[in-house]
Amino acid sequence: MLKLRPALTIGLAAAFVTFLFGGWSIVVIGLLAGAMTGLNYGQRSLKRTPREIGQEAIVPGLVAAGMVVLGGVVFSYVVTPAVGKPLAYSLFLKFGKTAVRMDYFFVLMISIVAGVLLGALASWYMASIQGLPEHTRRARLIIVLVVFLLIFPFFEQITNMQWMAAVITVQIFILLALGLNIVVGYAGLLDLGYAAFFAIGAYTAGLLNSPQIDISWNFWLVIWIAAAVGSVAGLALGAPTLRLRGDYLAIVTLGFGEIVPVVFRNLITVTLREPITRICFVGCDPVKEVRNACLYACTGPLDLTAGEKGINPIGRPLIPFTPENLFGANYLPWYFLILVLILFSIFLIRRMHQSRIGRAWMAIREDELAASQMGIDPVKTKLMAFAMGATFSGFAGAFYGSYISAIFPGVFDFSVSVIVLCMVILGGLGNMVGVIIGGILIMGTDRLFLPQMATLLKGFMTATVLPNVSHPALRDFLTFSLDPIQFRLMLFGLVLVIMMIVRPEGLVPSAERRAELHAGDEAAGAPPLEAEVAAH
Amino acid sequence: MLELKDVHTYYGNIHALKGISLTVDDGEIVTLIGSNGAGKTTTLRTIQGLIRPRHGTITLNGEDLTKVPAHEITSKGVSQSPEGRLIFPRMTVKENLEMGAFARKDKDGIKRDMERVFTVFPRLKERISQKGGTLSGGEQQMLAMGRALMANPRVLLLDEPSMGLSPILVEQIFKIISELHAQGTTILLVEQNARMALSIASRGYVLQTGEIRLQGPAARLRDDEDVRKTYLGEH
Ligand SMILES: Nc1ncnc2c1ncn2[C@@H]1O[C@H](COP(=O)(O)OP(=O)(O)OP(=O)(O)O)[C@@H](O)[C@H]1O
Ligand SMILES: [Mg+2]
Repeated sequence: MLKLRPALTIGLAAAFVTFLFGGWSIVVIGLLAGAMTGLNYGQRSLKRTPREIGQEAIVPGLVAAGMVVLGGVVFSYVVTPAVGKPLAYSLFLKFGKTAVRMDYFFVLMISIVAGVLLGALASWYMASIQGLPEHTRRARLIIVLVVFLLIFPFFEQITNMQWMAAVITVQIFILLALGLNIVVGYAGLLDLGYAAFFAIGAYTAGLLNSPQIDISWNFWLVIWIAAAVGSVAGLALGAPTLRLRGDYLAIVTLGFGEIVPVVFRNLITVTLREPITRICFVGCDPVKEVRNACLYACTGPLDLTAGEKGINPIGRPLIPFTPENLFGANYLPWYFLILVLILFSIFLIRRMHQSRIGRAWMAIREDELAASQMGIDPVKTKLMAFAMGATFSGFAGAFYGSYISAIFPGVFDFSVSVIVLCMVILGGLGNMVGVIIGGILIMGTDRLFLPQMATLLKGFMTATVLPNVSHPALRDFLTFSLDPIQFRLMLFGLVLVIMMIVRPEGLVPSAERRAELHAGDEAAGAPPLEAEVAAH
Repeated sequence: MLELKDVHTYYGNIHALKGISLTVDDGEIVTLIGSNGAGKTTTLRTIQGLIRPRHGTITLNGEDLTKVPAHEITSKGVSQSPEGRLIFPRMTVKENLEMGAFARKDKDGIKRDMERVFTVFPRLKERISQKGGTLSGGEQQMLAMGRALMANPRVLLLDEPSMGLSPILVEQIFKIISELHAQGTTILLVEQNARMALSIASRGYVLQTGEIRLQGPAARLRDDEDVRKTYLGEH
């Protein structure tokens, strides 16, 4: 009676994570797997009461969580011995400065119990809210999500899971993908050089908040300037490409993406023969300003970006009434800062999408000629898409520069553009939830799973395989060539190809696509037009 | 109301319209007939500002439209149900209709016109949340016309509304056009189906390779020897 296949699929995918990480990850992944399963079962049975749906989802939730636990147990008793590292996850609980050491078996037991309980609970809750009216359901979902996002980083810190750096990178890329989704998903303009705007945001923030040209403005001001500069750059790229479509547009944006890092690499000896800078903003010493950021009649050329060496160090955000090194001490403030930036961006983008400009983007994407017949200005609409898309990468860039505290031209290469584009396509063009899920999957794989897999594989080779291999060439091959991180770009390519074949609309298709399927059902049931007219 | 004076339009070197002059008065149905490639669609595109005429003027109630960008012409009161329909395939019927009213700000008026479109095309109301691209050909034609009506135009341009429809549906579409006319919409109707077009229009123009060859009251054109031979297929 109960269909367990979705639970098994979700469980299997989730178990793969605990198979790699073990320990405390069982708790988090068990919870997530349960929630996913619950969502899935809830949607299947909209006809029953919320209570019934919830109760039905408990067993599938337990199944999914059980598989997660199984993955964790296999990690503890099969994987760790094989890689020769008995302690692959932290046994310390950190409460601020005090650390509590725990027993290996004890950690495993707590994780298993918590994972199973949370999984079943999440499945029950997620399924039971599916039957509620759309409005309440949405509100509940958001509350649950916010609670999870608030608790997770503290849990991660206390249990010392070491996921935070990866999580923050994922968040940065999600912000980028949300921006690119405006250009590619909403307006249908293929942009292969999106990393350029990321770079422009980061360099703007870097220049205005570092010793490079001796300007150190407040982060909270600089991030807005970076966004504004980003949007201007978006206009600059958009203007010459307005008459291009499809392939041609893609090639021009590709070129733009390649040019921008080169420009930043080369802006190391800037001299001007004409006086264009005699500007001093409020609160600075005009003499000092002119001396340091000298562009005219200087003793030597100005080194704007320090080329390959990069801009370093970039100032951190300061919040009044908090310790000055708040953002230096650990990851938590960064996590919450980027979370707020993402939520803020989602809010803005949602508003835009539902407003006139959003509908204009949709119309332009569908049919430009028809759109202009409707009274939509294609020029303005496209420029707006480029400018808005670039604004959010400006935010991301400013955050990134301050977070890493150093930026180099090499970071913003083509692979960044491609990965962000992959996130947008994988999740479902034009759907923000899909884009976020796509981002978590791709960047999670890139920054969490592949490195962990690499470590485990290396350990596995050293501890288990190599002692039994004597052939030197084979030994070399096993030691140096079997690195999953080397395969990352190939993996993304593979994922894209498979997606295009299996599910071209993305993991979470946009509402339009969903309605399309729905409309197909309706059309099949209705009598054809001609027949009805003839009957009159 | 709508007036074209000596309009010349080119596609690159192709001289598609060679001095077209025509007028459409308030509350009239005027039809533009002609064989394939005569320049009918080009005339409508020129009126809508999608192609610029090289010479000549287009005025609407005395206001020069010749230099107005295409997207602003809609809000001046000219809207078109284009050849090949050009509906938005991935938007629903409702969204398509809403796009038609994009240039308008009067919410009440839009709502009223939506109701009006649904009265004229009850078929569209049944399919309100279906994708434009999944509608049948006839339904798409209705949608294109409905969308043009949503702009609450002073002049409605219809480019071959009967194209590809079954005879019964053609009759129905023409009945709807007469109804719209009776409700006070001014219409410039481009048609291959000259017989039907001339039966509902008050005046007509016959276009041949970019030039107006004949013009006059519809009844007179219907009786014209050449028109009967060439466009009505009578011998
Ligand atoms: N985009 C274009 N580029 C070049 N030539 C064009 C273009 N569009 C139309 N033409 C040419 O202009 C002339 C008039 O075309 P138009 O589309 O106005 O004809 P029509 O009267 O609407 O014909 P039909 O009844 O077949 O729709 C034709 O010779 C056509 O080949
Ligand atoms: Mg035509």
